[in-house]
Amino acid sequence: MPALTLAHVSKQFGHDTNQVTVLKDVNFEAEAGQVSLVIGPSGSGKSTFLTIAGGIQTPTAGEVHVQDQSLQQLAGKARDALRLNKIGFILQAYNLIPYLSVQDQFTLVDRVKPRGNLTAEQLANLLDQLGIANLTKQYPGELSGGQTQRVAIARALYQNPDIILADEPTAALDSDRVKVVGQLLHDLAKQHNKAIVVVTHDLRLQEFADKTYAIMDGRMTLA
Amino acid sequence: MFLALKEIRHEKLRYGLIVGMVVLVSYLVFVLSGLAYGLAQQNTQAIATWDAQKIAVTSDANDSLAQSLMTKQTANKVTLTKHEAYIGQAGVVAKAKGQPKLSAQFLGINRGEFIYRKLTVTSGHKPTTSRQILVDDSFKTNGYHLGDKVSLGATGGKFKIVGFTHNAKLSVAPVIYGTLVTWRTLSHVTSDFKAGGIVSNRSGFKPQTSDLKTLTMSQFINKLPGYSAQNTTFTFMIAFLMVIAMVVIAVFLYILTMQKLPNYAVLRAQGIPAKVLVTTTISQALILVVGGLVIGAALTAATVLVLPAGLPMSFNVPLLAGVTGGILLTGVLGALIPVRIILHVDPVSVIGG
Ligand SMILES: Nc1ncnc2c1ncn2[C@@H]1O[C@H](COP(=O)(O)OP(=O)(O)O)[C@@H](O)[C@H]1O
Ligand SMILES: [Mg+2]
Repeated sequence: MPALTLAHVSKQFGHDTNQVTVLKDVNFEAEAGQVSLVIGPSGSGKSTFLTIAGGIQTPTAGEVHVQDQSLQQLAGKARDALRLNKIGFILQAYNLIPYLSVQDQFTLVDRVKPRGNLTAEQLANLLDQLGIANLTKQYPGELSGGQTQRVAIARALYQNPDIILADEPTAALDSDRVKVVGQLLHDLAKQHNKAIVVVTHDLRLQEFADKTYAIMDGRMTLA
Repeated sequence: MFLALKEIRHEKLRYGLIVGMVVLVSYLVFVLSGLAYGLAQQNTQAIATWDAQKIAVTSDANDSLAQSLMTKQTANKVTLTKHEAYIGQAGVVAKAKGQPKLSAQFLGINRGEFIYRKLTVTSGHKPTTSRQILVDDSFKTNGYHLGDKVSLGATGGKFKIVGFTHNAKLSVAPVIYGTLVTWRTLSHVTSDFKAGGIVSNRSGFKPQTSDLKTLTMSQFINKLPGYSAQNTTFTFMIAFLMVIAMVVIAVFLYILTMQKLPNYAVLRAQGIPAKVLVTTTISQALILVVGGLVIGAALTAATVLVLPAGLPMSFNVPLLAGVTGGILLTGVLGALIPVRIILHVDPVSVIGG
């Protein structure tokens, strides 16, 4: 069973003459233990796809399944709980809470979800791998763009979710860091059996993907 | 609580300003209610020390003891028990050699009746002749001494202060206790008049004569000149202040919440329940308001210490509890307004770009 399935998903915004169709009959599957890449230009519908996949937006038509659970059948609170436990978001912007130090970004997760998060040792290893182990006392305002992005990645992984949804995770990174992040996502998929979904326009990530989709004007095709 | 505290600690200036506002508002409310209560006390303190329940004044006196003149004829229609006392009130200006003039309320009472027995003396003794008077402590603070000879008007000669008593204020003036004989002199009436009225410490007291009108003590107090007007004024001032405080606190919290919405949207996207964010906002409001209240109360206490003793400011527990509760409620109400926005925050708004 795939970790994440979208079947015949369409998304329209607006009504009548203002109506735009952002996703058109999208079919998508992500397996545990694999990195699934969705590549498309700006405005092609990548973020919309990702929010629907993560259950924070509902499709106009079609079905989304997380493992064997249909998102359509979940009430708001249950969907919150599913996100908290199963899905980690790596967002493009505003990833971090500005008034929490890097360490407190993780502590907050502990407060809301006391079980199932990374152990202190696992977290230390992760931060080490990302090259941000020395930043735990800093506040997001004191970090560079690349550091922010890496902390956001660590933050999403900390919940130890089965599925990781990343929106342009390498936007602010130079080529070396892109390799580190790509390798990290790849390793996570392989070593911890995570289903990793990355939407991006960054072709440099292609070498770390098991499966690549292309999205263009809301239509998704398996490359 | 975690988020609430962390944020306050990180945004010290921003939250400091809000606390500052709550401090000012609660300080103002504390001081105003202290003054209101103090003034109310100075209107009625003397009455409170008698522990009385009822007062009868003449029907034509418009519920005012100072305007009430009870003839012997009327007085004879009422039999007094040990629970009743005759009383007469007259406004006077007290003056002793080398001392400032003081406006005062003269109360004529009979020795042996319950008001006289109730009086407590802080120094000296209770009067035993009609040339002796017992006066409020504020005479002492104004420089008067035991033994001073005091004139209470153009006629009537001099009276000797033989004792001081505490908390004897009526209509915001110090009280001078003397005899009904002196009261007659000061009121320029003959001995055809017995007293001004009758005070009783029985709630069942009710003279059966249309010449007299019986009031409960609280009815009587509310009819004291200016008393209810003062209270209404203060009540309105405090109420308006509370409403303004609520609006201001609500506006501040609203602006703060609006600024935090992108953060809240991220947290919602990550699956943090809306309940956590609502709790955060409300506990933040409570922390800010409680902090402000504590500082406001401390400031008020400091103010009381440095204020001149004569200023009528006093507090009691129910009053303070009421004011504190009111401001707390105000803060929570203010915090509840942005809750709707938090519940509707859209996590999608932070994804994409
Ligand atoms: N809430 C919305 N209402 C109307 N149009 C939207 C909305 N969200 C996205 N769109 C449109 O959908 C298209 C795809 O947006 P998005 O999914 O953010 O693309 P990408 O992430 O690939 O840049 C864009 O043209 C965008 O303007
Ligand atoms: Mg996007």
